[in-house]
Amino acid sequence: MTAPVLELPPYTRQSPEVEARFHKLKKRPVTLDVNRLTKVFSTPQGEVTALENVSFALHRREFMCVIGASGCGKSTLVRILAGLESASAGEVLVGGESVSGPGPDRGMVFQGYTLFPWLTVKQNVMFGLKMTGHSEATAESEAMQWIELVGLASSAEVYPHQLSGGMKQRVAIARALANQPRILLMDEPFGALDAQTRAQMQSYLLQIWRQVDITILFITHDLDEAVYLSDRVLVLDSDPGRVGELIEVPVPQPRNPRQFLTPEFLSAKKRLEELIHPQQRDGEEDRLPMLRMTKVGDDVV
Amino acid sequence: MTCSFLLPLALWCLIAYLPVWKSEIRISLSSDANNSDFPTVYVPGDHMEEARFDAFRAAVRQDNTDPQAAETAAAGRRANKRILRGITPLALAENWITPEQEKDYAALYTVWQRIALGELSGGLSQENLGIVSENWADMSAVSPSYNSRNFPSEPLLKLIPEGKSEVKRPLFLPAPHEIIARASEDFRGQSELGDLNVWGRYLVSIRTIAGGFLLVCLVGVPIALLCGTFSFFSRLIEPFVDFFRYMPAPAFGTLLIALFGIYDAPKLALVFLGTLPQLILMVANTTRMLDTSLLDAAQTLGANRKQLVTRVVIPGILPNLHNDIRILLGWAWTWLIIAELLGVKAGLTEIIDTQGRRFHFDHVYPIILLIGLTGFLTDQFLAWFRGVIFPYTEQGISASARSAARVLSKVSPLRLKRALRAKPVTVAT
Repeated sequence: MTAPVLELPPYTRQSPEVEARFHKLKKRPVTLDVNRLTKVFSTPQGEVTALENVSFALHRREFMCVIGASGCGKSTLVRILAGLESASAGEVLVGGESVSGPGPDRGMVFQGYTLFPWLTVKQNVMFGLKMTGHSEATAESEAMQWIELVGLASSAEVYPHQLSGGMKQRVAIARALANQPRILLMDEPFGALDAQTRAQMQSYLLQIWRQVDITILFITHDLDEAVYLSDRVLVLDSDPGRVGELIEVPVPQPRNPRQFLTPEFLSAKKRLEELIHPQQRDGEEDRLPMLRMTKVGDDVV
Repeated sequence: MTCSFLLPLALWCLIAYLPVWKSEIRISLSSDANNSDFPTVYVPGDHMEEARFDAFRAAVRQDNTDPQAAETAAAGRRANKRILRGITPLALAENWITPEQEKDYAALYTVWQRIALGELSGGLSQENLGIVSENWADMSAVSPSYNSRNFPSEPLLKLIPEGKSEVKRPLFLPAPHEIIARASEDFRGQSELGDLNVWGRYLVSIRTIAGGFLLVCLVGVPIALLCGTFSFFSRLIEPFVDFFRYMPAPAFGTLLIALFGIYDAPKLALVFLGTLPQLILMVANTTRMLDTSLLDAAQTLGANRKQLVTRVVIPGILPNLHNDIRILLGWAWTWLIIAELLGVKAGLTEIIDTQGRRFHFDHVYPIILLIGLTGFLTDQFLAWFRGVIFPYTEQGISASARSAARVLSKVSPLRLKRALRAKPVTVAT
């Protein structure tokens, strides 16, 4: 008795332009190479495998989203890539060189607002430049360029507590980019924002990505966000975290919000949905063992 | 907020001025009564119940209406000289005679004369003024100036006792007006409180607490930072500190005297010893509570270990460190009071201790209030100052602090450096 569902093209079908684009993308040099990465946590209850043999590669100026159910090890993955945690096995190559420990070649934007509250917007953006040995004057002039890029030149002298959530994340992006990293890691950066700001930030991020030579790895649990932003989406299976599928998004570039309802967009989204909630079949629903506590008539439900 | 201060004050006034305390007469002018009901000699300053005082006056009046001649002339003169001396306390209080003239009958004789002639009155009752002139008539008839042999032996009239009614409160409960009067004497340095006046002692106390506290911050904060940042130091230092803080610092008092002598050093050491364990544990905890994501962010921006401490940990904890310091300063005052009793008593505590032992609580309370007020005002200032030095914190910052911060930021060393470095601009023509 369910209503008919829209007939969608297979998500693997690509228009000639999209196909050509992916062909070119894969010819570009590899910026980030993740090779059989495994992470095992030892807890009092025994060993827990968070990631198992995760391998994938990011090409230069690619935008990749990593998506997965909560607890699948997305955050662990990105923290290992940033060098904030160490892997149990496997290796991470950035520009062909193996890395361990944090470094300015990998910038990161966190979900929480990690701006330094005692520094102004400009000083926050200057922070990384000063850490990597730039002079005060160079750091200042470079920081101002990045602040202008994210459209916050008029707020350069204010402290973070005076900014809205969206503005804070724009500063965080500018701060990460100021070091001119090869790759920008973003761990659910828009997770704490309201829907409207979030949409706005997604569009800002795409604009920045188009104008800066940067490769982005973006963690999210939002299917729309993943499809809208990425060239390819990496789906992580949970428990243990493994690469489920690497999906090439068939939506043409450049992206705009009108594409949300195109057949390509929806087919990619549908595929992601199937991968993340595989156990759910048609007509089946998780049921709670609920008692009937109301005498509402059938006209309500 | 004002109310929370007025309430205890009102309660104090209420209890002090409640009519449950009996009134008593404080004698200002005394006399002897030839009456077995009053066998003791009363001197000015003594207290007496009102009814008994009336009976006392009546007994003296009775003596005057029915004077009993002495057995011998010499005995009569002795009794009369006692009456002559009766005016002494009043004469001293009114500065009619100097303290050296207390036993000088000639001077007292002149006092009687001047009162009789109406030159002096000193608040004597009409009754007593009458008695003085009657006596003076007898005295001057014998000799116009004092002569120990030429002194009337016929009984003179006795002065009638005078006194003022006063509320007699328990020793520990002086009334507000009494405290204010005493405090204004003490704080103007008019009371005898040993070799130094209140402000001199205040300065000694301030010096001790400032010195001790500065020392404990200089030593304790770096240790606490290490403990909070590196788990190695935390495991090395904190368990012992945790144990040490349960040993009361005053228990080491005699040891400190043995080590540092009896003057200022052991007092400073006690403030130091009492505050240090609390400071280390508190500040270490504050350091640990720093948002670890800030450290993560700094690392991805290329900060090394040293930079993490100097550029993230220290500036990151400063506002909370400032709060800790405010709380610890309150504790340091507690230790100060105990410290100043070590060895040679010093500072404000000396007044509290000495005057308290004599039950002079009217001297003690103003000092306790002074300490309380100093602590409170220091704390309020520090709270205000928080807004000046940490303009980026989200807590309410007063307008005055905000403008002070603006002034401060204009003269900050960074800007000064930049202003000095700036090259003169050459305009191309």
